[in-house]
Amino acid sequence: MTSVVEGAVKKPPPTPRPSSFALLGSLLAVVLTVITAITVEFSFAELIENLTRRNLVVEGLLSPDVSQVWSDRSLRAFIETLQLAILGTATGGVVALPLAMWATDFGNPNTPLRVAVRTLNAVIRSIPDLLWALLFVTAVGIGVLPGLLALFFFSIAVVSKLTADTLDGVDRGPIEAALASGASVPQMLHTAVLPQILPAYSSFLLYGFELNLRASAVLGLVGAGGIGARIEFFRGRGEWSEVWGLVLMFFLVVFIVERVSVSVRRRLI
Amino acid sequence: MIRLVDATVEYPNGTRGLDGVSLEIEPGEFVVVVGLSGAGKSTLIRTVNGLVPITSGELYVDGDAVHTMTRRELRRLRAQIGMIFQGFNLVDRASVLDNVLVGRLHSVPTWRSLFGLYSRVDTELAAEALERVGMLERSHSRATALSGGQRQRVGIARALAQQPKVVLADEPVASLDPPTSHAVMQHLQQINQNLGITTLVNLHFLDLAVAYGQRIIGLREGKVVFDGPGEACTPDVFEGIYGRSLTAEDTLTDDAELG
Amino acid sequence: MTRPSIPVKPADWVRRIGTAVVVVLVLWSLLGLDIKWERLIDLPADLWRVAVLMFGQMPFDETGTLIAALWESVSIAWLGTMIAAIFAIPLSFLAAENLVGRPIAWSMRQVFNVLRAVPEVILAIALIPIFGLTPMAGVLAIGIGSIGTLGKLFYEIAEGIQPGPIEAVDATGANRLQRLRWGVLPQLLPEYASFVLYRFEVNIRASAVMGLIGAGGIGNDVAQALRFKEFGTAGLGLLIIIVGTIAIDYLSGMVRKRIINGPGATGGSRMAAPAPITA
Repeated sequence: MTSVVEGAVKKPPPTPRPSSFALLGSLLAVVLTVITAITVEFSFAELIENLTRRNLVVEGLLSPDVSQVWSDRSLRAFIETLQLAILGTATGGVVALPLAMWATDFGNPNTPLRVAVRTLNAVIRSIPDLLWALLFVTAVGIGVLPGLLALFFFSIAVVSKLTADTLDGVDRGPIEAALASGASVPQMLHTAVLPQILPAYSSFLLYGFELNLRASAVLGLVGAGGIGARIEFFRGRGEWSEVWGLVLMFFLVVFIVERVSVSVRRRLI
Repeated sequence: MIRLVDATVEYPNGTRGLDGVSLEIEPGEFVVVVGLSGAGKSTLIRTVNGLVPITSGELYVDGDAVHTMTRRELRRLRAQIGMIFQGFNLVDRASVLDNVLVGRLHSVPTWRSLFGLYSRVDTELAAEALERVGMLERSHSRATALSGGQRQRVGIARALAQQPKVVLADEPVASLDPPTSHAVMQHLQQINQNLGITTLVNLHFLDLAVAYGQRIIGLREGKVVFDGPGEACTPDVFEGIYGRSLTAEDTLTDDAELG
Repeated sequence: MTRPSIPVKPADWVRRIGTAVVVVLVLWSLLGLDIKWERLIDLPADLWRVAVLMFGQMPFDETGTLIAALWESVSIAWLGTMIAAIFAIPLSFLAAENLVGRPIAWSMRQVFNVLRAVPEVILAIALIPIFGLTPMAGVLAIGIGSIGTLGKLFYEIAEGIQPGPIEAVDATGANRLQRLRWGVLPQLLPEYASFVLYRFEVNIRASAVMGLIGAGGIGNDVAQALRFKEFGTAGLGLLIIIVGTIAIDYLSGMVRKRIINGPGATGGSRMAAPAPITA
């Protein structure tokens, strides 16, 4: 039998050594940081030199020109941005709902088809908003249409992802009840699933709208319409006061829309 | 009305829900199925409307062979069979009426149901079903606003709205308190007697089984171990079905007398 | 007996007004936008044409150059994330109500909110004239932009820590800095590491996008290729972006799981952060 070691010299327990995983991870992080710094030619000297130089961008930021926001063109660009975001969310959101449902086991009993829908969703999600815009500008030329198409796909990505997560958690009872009464799968989805996810889905639409509004600001940079085109115009001429004036106004709009949207969303859920 | 011939259900993990069951249930019968949990009660009831397909044997409902049906034929079969669930399976956020109208979906073309365009006949059938369970006044309440007993009455109305030939009830009172349980069982009994609908009910409270079952079927490990009239069910018979002595938890009320 | 009929449905005015507002807004947008809708008819053909141009004949000899460009994007993302983390950790302590007073925490949070609101692309626009069309502009845009999100995540974690260990360190008469080092940090580091990695995944997308407006990395190559109608190069670049981001997401996700769940844990339990959505 093991005897209790009494009277043995009492030592404090050794300080636990960090796990080899943590050590290796930290080391890797440091090495990666050094290598990446070399890749991008990071230099503090340059950083300080560039930041301390007299610079029109910062001067423009310190004296933003908000007055030209009320000019006819800028106002139209603002409205265009808002309309793009609304229409992009509405159309993309409507398409996202069936796409999310067809990716579930109860909404799509056909396994190969389900895999196909899931793959399609994954591909749509992997492409960023600005890249969508660039692709559509290439396909249909500069204008508002490529912007709308970009936001359409971007909305599908956001809304279908969030909706799919919600669908994973629906109560399966009503689904069984609907199927047991002889309902078809679309009928079942409409009566047993949709009411369960409708509040969350509406909230995702609003959230998608918020994201779209932000995204629509940068779409114009690649020629896809909206306020971004206006910002790009002043940037090209180096008129930074005007650029910052527009940016500030835009953030004010985004801020207001977000406040409203968040309070509506809170009520929905 | 319902005929099983050597029906077996084997689940993908190898367990047998049903093991060579042969049964015949006549039109208009009120049959109670008893057995321990895991004995195959739920499986038996779900084979009847094809929610659980039998893996071997034969199953006929109203003369039609369920085991050979296509998806479309299965839907037509299910339209004639109402089902009532332990957990009610209502859509919580939808109104009582919308929940009952689920029972009419089989008669509505899909595109119409997507817009909620139910015909007058469908709405009238729903109203009739709701009145039969005394829930007509609550048509526009949300399902969440109802008590457990009321929710199960809506569940019954949903099944009735189908105008079914058969009603299947899977532990319909397991989530309810004793007085409500009796009320729900009485609703089922009246429907059986007044409308002549063949009724198959799973129960685990033996006193309820004796009180309401014209005929009682005992299942144990997927096999039928008892089949006879309710009056023949003595405590000995139940102990035979359960394979152990009875406890207070096997009855709804503690001082219940069996047989 | 009369036939039963359904009682009249009470009107739900909130719902009706909500629906009306949405319908009006959508119609206003539909009619207001200056779009030639008939061009949508040609859209599938146009897309197909571009797709064929991009993916039909990819110049695979440029794979090396493009992968180097992807590496530059990854470098921009990594360095930017590291810079953001270095600033966000101390700043986040100033935003945690259980570590500092309310007024300080509140004002720090507002700073995070403002930083979070600015898209990286806008930051890049501002930084490009300062740094020229170099990766440095991208690094700083990502660095500044991520301080807000990381700071917010960090102070939320810091507020969720158990008070027990802090109390124990306090009880030994430690000062504020010692309390941070021995009472707070050990609880936080794994979650911090996990969120930094998550942010890195998001930032790879951001840095690929910023390249499109000239802030270095593979986006730059794709944008240039499209501008000069070298569609094959653009297609190959796009493919490399998609495959690259998915591969790095996967790797980083595995490391995150290992960090949070400890050694030997296999899936199923909690993940520190959801899969990134491009935003």
